[in-house]
Amino acid sequence: MWELFQRIRSVVNKTQAFKSIFRHGFPNNDGNRALVMFSNIILHLHPVRVRRGALKIKFTWCLGGLTFFFFILLAITGVFLMFYYVPDTNRAYGNIKDLGTVIFFGDLFRSLHRWSAHSMVLFVWLHMTRVFFTGSYKPPREFNWVVGVILLSTTLVLSWTGYLLPWDQLALWAVTVGSKMAEASPLIGKAGPFGAELGMNANNDITFALLGGTVVGQSALLRFYVLHCLALPLVTALFIAIHFWRIRKDGFSGPL
Amino acid sequence: MAGAEQKGESPEDVSRRRFFTLMSLGVGWGGVVATLGGIGAGAARYMFPSVLYEPPTVFKIGLPSGYGMGVDTKLKKERQVWVVRNERGIYVLVAICRHLGCTPNWFSDQKLFRCPCHGSIYDPHGNVVGGPAPRTLWRSAISLDPVDGQIVVDFNLRQDPDPVGTPEGLMVEEASREVEPYFLKV
Repeated sequence: MWELFQRIRSVVNKTQAFKSIFRHGFPNNDGNRALVMFSNIILHLHPVRVRRGALKIKFTWCLGGLTFFFFILLAITGVFLMFYYVPDTNRAYGNIKDLGTVIFFGDLFRSLHRWSAHSMVLFVWLHMTRVFFTGSYKPPREFNWVVGVILLSTTLVLSWTGYLLPWDQLALWAVTVGSKMAEASPLIGKAGPFGAELGMNANNDITFALLGGTVVGQSALLRFYVLHCLALPLVTALFIAIHFWRIRKDGFSGPL
Repeated sequence: MAGAEQKGESPEDVSRRRFFTLMSLGVGWGGVVATLGGIGAGAARYMFPSVLYEPPTVFKIGLPSGYGMGVDTKLKKERQVWVVRNERGIYVLVAICRHLGCTPNWFSDQKLFRCPCHGSIYDPHGNVVGGPAPRTLWRSAISLDPVDGQIVVDFNLRQDPDPVGTPEGLMVEEASREVEPYFLKV
């Protein structure tokens, strides 16, 4: 059995596909062991060279990593919720009730999604506060701070679009209030500065595009669902990738 | 004397430490495996809904006196069944073609069911008299409700006898099909 396994392994190891995935030899010497770390982004997200002090937990508190953990947890639990949720004004509230009452583990997945969402918002703020206090936004890391601000925005909008989906009174009025705020956008909102002068009204301003109409109704629910489950997660994942790439490129300066 | 033994590094002490190390590892990793296994099993169970929003598979179709001789097509659209009465009683044919699952149509002038998809042809007994269908039409289980006397159809409990190939088509002896719970002598 063991010999068979060894024989299969020796054949597989020589294939072109295997060599293109693992670009180093078996990690049985120091050189290859180092290459395993250097060439694998999952095993080695950090820059290739990091000062010892920068790896201390008290420097970063792993706040960005925890935010990413919540994002992954949200993606997984969100996929599970999508199996039972229909973005239909007649069915959405009942689907949420079903998740909480009759579907096995439904309450667990929904609660995990809800608490992870709250936690992700909280940890984005904590992460940014840490970055501010350690001065990690300063040159040469301004670009990554900008990417971080974009990620803060997508996190908040993800949280807000998810807020509407249960289609209860809280959701409806929260999004009604939020869309009133969109009306006050400068230039593109009907109630914002220069909005009326530019011809913005209830049928052509940014709120109309956001809600797909003038009230929070079926089109708004569908739009928020698509934004929440597809568009915003894709944008967020893209910017998270850029964020991590910049961390590897910019490196750590270590504790001040 | 006993104190000296406890203080010293006797083989018993080392094996005790080893015992607790292994036990801690066992409990720890066992807990991890049990937790992940529980989550996996729960997630799998999540995919099997407890409440369904689809037409019931056991339903009443009215009193036997409401069905005259021959094939009645009034329930085809709503319940996907034909109710057939002959000289001896009533049976319920499932309106699903046994070839690839389309819904055949009843032609009262020809006294045949013909499937629009690939041309399977069935007689009123459900026997295949033409086309690609490999088996005869299903008959659903039926019973009489003891309270109101209506016919109760169990759509998914179906009679599916092995047909015999003959020059006329795939046939099943009718007497063998007219048995409980697939036939009502009413």
